[in-house]
Amino acid sequence: MLAYIIRRVAQSALVLLIVGLAAFSMFRFVGDPIDNMLGQERTAADIERLREQLGLDQSFPVQYFKFLEGAVQGNFGVSYRQGRPVADILMERAPATLELAAVSGVLAILLGIAFGVFTAIRRDGFVANFIMSASLIGVSLPTFLIGILLIYVFSVELGWLPSFGRGETVQIGSWSTGFLTATGLKALVLPSITLGLYQMTLIMRLVRSEMLEVLRQDYIRFARARGLRDRTVNFRHALKNTMVPVITVIGLQLGAIIAFAIITETVFQWPGVGLLFINAVQFVDIPVMAAYLMLISVMFVGINLIVDMLYFFIDPRLRVDRSGGH
Amino acid sequence: MSDMTQKIPQKSRVRLFLDSDIFYAFKRSPVAVASTIVVSILILSALFAPLIAPTNPFDPASLNLMNGFTGPMAPNAFTGETFLLGTDDQGRDVFSTILYGMRVSLFVGVAAVLFAMVLGITLGLISGYVGGWTETIIMRTADVQLTFPSILVAMLIFGVAKGFTPVEYRDQMAIWVLIVAIGLSDWVQFARVVRGATLVEKRKEYVEAARLIGRTPFAIMLRHILPNVLSPVLVIATISLALAIIAEATLSFLGVGAPPTQPSLGTLIRIGQGFLFSGEWWILLFPAVTLLALALSVNLLGDWLRDALNPRLR
Amino acid sequence: MLRKLSYVALFAGLASSAYAEEFTWAVTTDPQTMDPHAVNSAPVLGFLNNVYEGLVRRGQDMAIEPALATSWEPIGEGEGWRFNLREGVIFQDGAAFTAQDVLFSYERASSEEADTSSWFAPVSDVIVVDDFTVDIMTTSPNPIFPDSIANWMIMDSDWATANDAARPDKESGNYATLNTNGTGAFAITNREPGLRTVLEPHTGWWGEATHNITRAELTPIQNPATALAALLSGDVDFINPVPVQDVARLQNDPNVNVIQGIEARVIMLGFPHEADALKYSAETTDANPFADPLVRRAVAHAINVPAILQTTMRGNAEAVNQLVSPAMRGYADGLSKDAAYDPDAARTLLAEAGYPDGFSFGLKCPNDRYLNDEAVCQAITGMLAQVGMRATLDAMPVQNYWPELRADNYDMYLLGWSPGTFDAEHPVRFLAATPNEEKRLGSWNFGGYSNARVDELLPLIQSEIDESKRQAMLDEVAQTLQDEMAYVPLYVQPLIWGTRANIELVQRPDNFFILRWVTVN
Repeated sequence: MLAYIIRRVAQSALVLLIVGLAAFSMFRFVGDPIDNMLGQERTAADIERLREQLGLDQSFPVQYFKFLEGAVQGNFGVSYRQGRPVADILMERAPATLELAAVSGVLAILLGIAFGVFTAIRRDGFVANFIMSASLIGVSLPTFLIGILLIYVFSVELGWLPSFGRGETVQIGSWSTGFLTATGLKALVLPSITLGLYQMTLIMRLVRSEMLEVLRQDYIRFARARGLRDRTVNFRHALKNTMVPVITVIGLQLGAIIAFAIITETVFQWPGVGLLFINAVQFVDIPVMAAYLMLISVMFVGINLIVDMLYFFIDPRLRVDRSGGH
Repeated sequence: MSDMTQKIPQKSRVRLFLDSDIFYAFKRSPVAVASTIVVSILILSALFAPLIAPTNPFDPASLNLMNGFTGPMAPNAFTGETFLLGTDDQGRDVFSTILYGMRVSLFVGVAAVLFAMVLGITLGLISGYVGGWTETIIMRTADVQLTFPSILVAMLIFGVAKGFTPVEYRDQMAIWVLIVAIGLSDWVQFARVVRGATLVEKRKEYVEAARLIGRTPFAIMLRHILPNVLSPVLVIATISLALAIIAEATLSFLGVGAPPTQPSLGTLIRIGQGFLFSGEWWILLFPAVTLLALALSVNLLGDWLRDALNPRLR
Repeated sequence: MLRKLSYVALFAGLASSAYAEEFTWAVTTDPQTMDPHAVNSAPVLGFLNNVYEGLVRRGQDMAIEPALATSWEPIGEGEGWRFNLREGVIFQDGAAFTAQDVLFSYERASSEEADTSSWFAPVSDVIVVDDFTVDIMTTSPNPIFPDSIANWMIMDSDWATANDAARPDKESGNYATLNTNGTGAFAITNREPGLRTVLEPHTGWWGEATHNITRAELTPIQNPATALAALLSGDVDFINPVPVQDVARLQNDPNVNVIQGIEARVIMLGFPHEADALKYSAETTDANPFADPLVRRAVAHAINVPAILQTTMRGNAEAVNQLVSPAMRGYADGLSKDAAYDPDAARTLLAEAGYPDGFSFGLKCPNDRYLNDEAVCQAITGMLAQVGMRATLDAMPVQNYWPELRADNYDMYLLGWSPGTFDAEHPVRFLAATPNEEKRLGSWNFGGYSNARVDELLPLIQSEIDESKRQAMLDEVAQTLQDEMAYVPLYVQPLIWGTRANIELVQRPDNFFILRWVTVN
């Protein structure tokens, strides 16, 4: 087990290195940061001078090496746009995204599993069919449109919820939270629905499909034949055995939530790292883009690691496979 | 199945299909029949768009800007022309634009999912079955891939492709870039699930048995493991098709979708959402409803297919 | 528990101040720095005009009026300008304003690190005569110098030096990037970049407050639909800009007001004057039709500007026949719009130029820079196609756009120009003069348009003190540019602001939002 973890961590470091390289090579195509840093009265000489100051005139490997050197020491450079250390900016923005992702994630997992189990057990019921169909409408429209429609209905027409932003936040150490204020909680509602809707549907459909399969299998029939109560059968035996693919997908979707937060944050002007990233793309703020990508890489790699380990505990057959070594 | 065909050679294949359990189940499911009808109508009208559409919205020379913002079935104040579903901000007939846009959306969606599926299943099977360094490399590549949100993948490929494509091919390029970008961001899902299931399946007795009777790994993967992992793959593929169409729309929101001169349904929705508050509802509503109908019926059909194709659920 | 208590206290504080005159406004782009000399861009200078002040400032009608200088007069025969400074002015940190601060701000704003140095290109020396008199010497007579420094903001020398911000730092930022200390009517009390910037009145301001704001908050909202929703739902009091298509709806809503004006920005089409051949043509690969004035004139005739104004801009913009709008100083009155929409004339001109069957080419366009820029380019593509000029439209975000234009990757491009000096000389210097790096001329003349007479007139215009002689020369330049169709001017972009109905404010034509003209009812 320990050897496995060590090997995975080493692999993860390699992954980060590659992501850094890929991300860095991408920036050459995003655009030129110079135009956003200089006003309309700049000359070609001004452009050249600034390019030199930023080190953009250096060769690609040199730039990449410098970036890595800094990143290893936790120094992601200074934002071209804000003129502040990128690490500070990310620390400021991360709580907003993490809180939004957490709320949407929990919402998606709880509702997804609950609806999934329900629709599997009441497979032909009217309510189950209704849930199945209704959930599909939500994922048959692009996220940005759902967000805008929600704003239109609940902010503009009904006036119940705020149209943008996080509301009032409370600072706890370096963490700003929106969980402790009424406006903060209200502000969370629309973005987290927008963000979690797709994941909820995906989890629900997967749970349902896996449950249906498992419920047909012999050991479940035996369990029922032995006279175990339906609830025990459904949850202790059936649900548990549907969890391998479900956990895979949940793990993947946690990452997707962070990635899709880019859209939700743009629509709701939610001050998280996704919005920061989109801003950075618009202004070709290379240090911010690079740091953002590294940050979510670390997160994804971590999630992957955890998912792989959960496999061990949930499906004992895999343990033999793994410890056998390759 | 193949054994059965050999035993009853006198029956034609069509007859066989009509007599099959699947077709029987299909006839009994109103949702499946309805979805099939909707999907067929949409696909056919997209295919034959040039014949059905009153105008060709992709031809800029045929447009009259003064026709812009004409309401459905209401004559334009300047030109007096009337349009079934109204016109958009460029004076394009919304009905024609939807038909042509659906072609783009469907093509991108189907091609992207096929690309993702072939890539994902192949790599998932190999990594699950072979294991070792092959698995490590594939799954770590998947990690890298996952780290890049599809939006970024699209931007990267867009940028690179732009550097290499002559401008006269750029409009077509956008479509291929979208296919590759969406496909590339989707294959990992297939690979992960297939690998996870393969790890479970390959320990089962029937695979051991196949190995003992001397089947090659390739044959085992293809003939024995693949059919058994298809159920989760089908769930993902179903959503993926609808999702790929929607992903294209999302990308167009971020400015890397189909070009506005040759819009997809997604681009139309992106343009239309700008008119949500101003009262020109038809520019948004009709493309959105079409996208909804398309994605929803594909999803419903997929749902039904999955249940029907799975013998254990019958 | 302690946190909770402090939060309750915080909330109580907010609740009690809710009755005070709070004002929240949303803009598309957050000002990227608080340093008035680091970035010469409208979002930064426009916002900082509320915090910092210059020697002069622009009034509600854009006229120059006294600010930190109470009066100014030319020295001798145009050797420079003398500014008499206002006494008793204090910075927001309490320090007194003197001539030393003016000298320091000159050195800072004209330094190599600053982005505002081009304003001071004509300046040879700045002399502190006494604590409240400053002479700014120019290399040649410069009649519009006071006009050109309205956005030159004065910073406290001691504050900047003490905080290690004696020079702006674009690359890594310094104290002045996040903190401010101006003499303006409002002081920044909280700055969270990209999130919110909070302002409160500067209690020691020298002027008489005409506003009734006790606290103002600026918040960037990028998505136009979200900003509009925020205004409609009352989450913000003011947004800039309102999407043109939503003007009609807002006008019918009793809870909001729309304030419209004509902006300084002229939208035009540019051409590759120097190129030997088209870059993006399928068949015309060995010639450059746009080098021929006849073809450029054909372009002007082919474009139905009234239709664009009517449909795409919803009647919210005005056609223009030169590079500046009528509101600018030096606008050429006598110029006719002689290239009106006339597709037949366009076809004739094309045939005359040797392209009876037209030709294909590539049109470059930004899609996030000007109001409805992409839609306008799409419309232009259609109109040009109708006379045989078949454009392939390539629209892109602005961060990709300028590098493409600099690399000459276009056959035709869309450009918007807003003269920072509000004077017709400005576009001549940047767009029409033959590019000359050393003299800082023609730096946005991507196509390399060159006309000896224009180049000859420009320095004369810059140093002419006689108003009517100057105007005559500007008229001649405008006529020359029109005769040669160096650019095809299309329309002047509108300014569209939206406010809640209880807000009164003043819209300045340069799109600067001045907080001290706001009244919350």
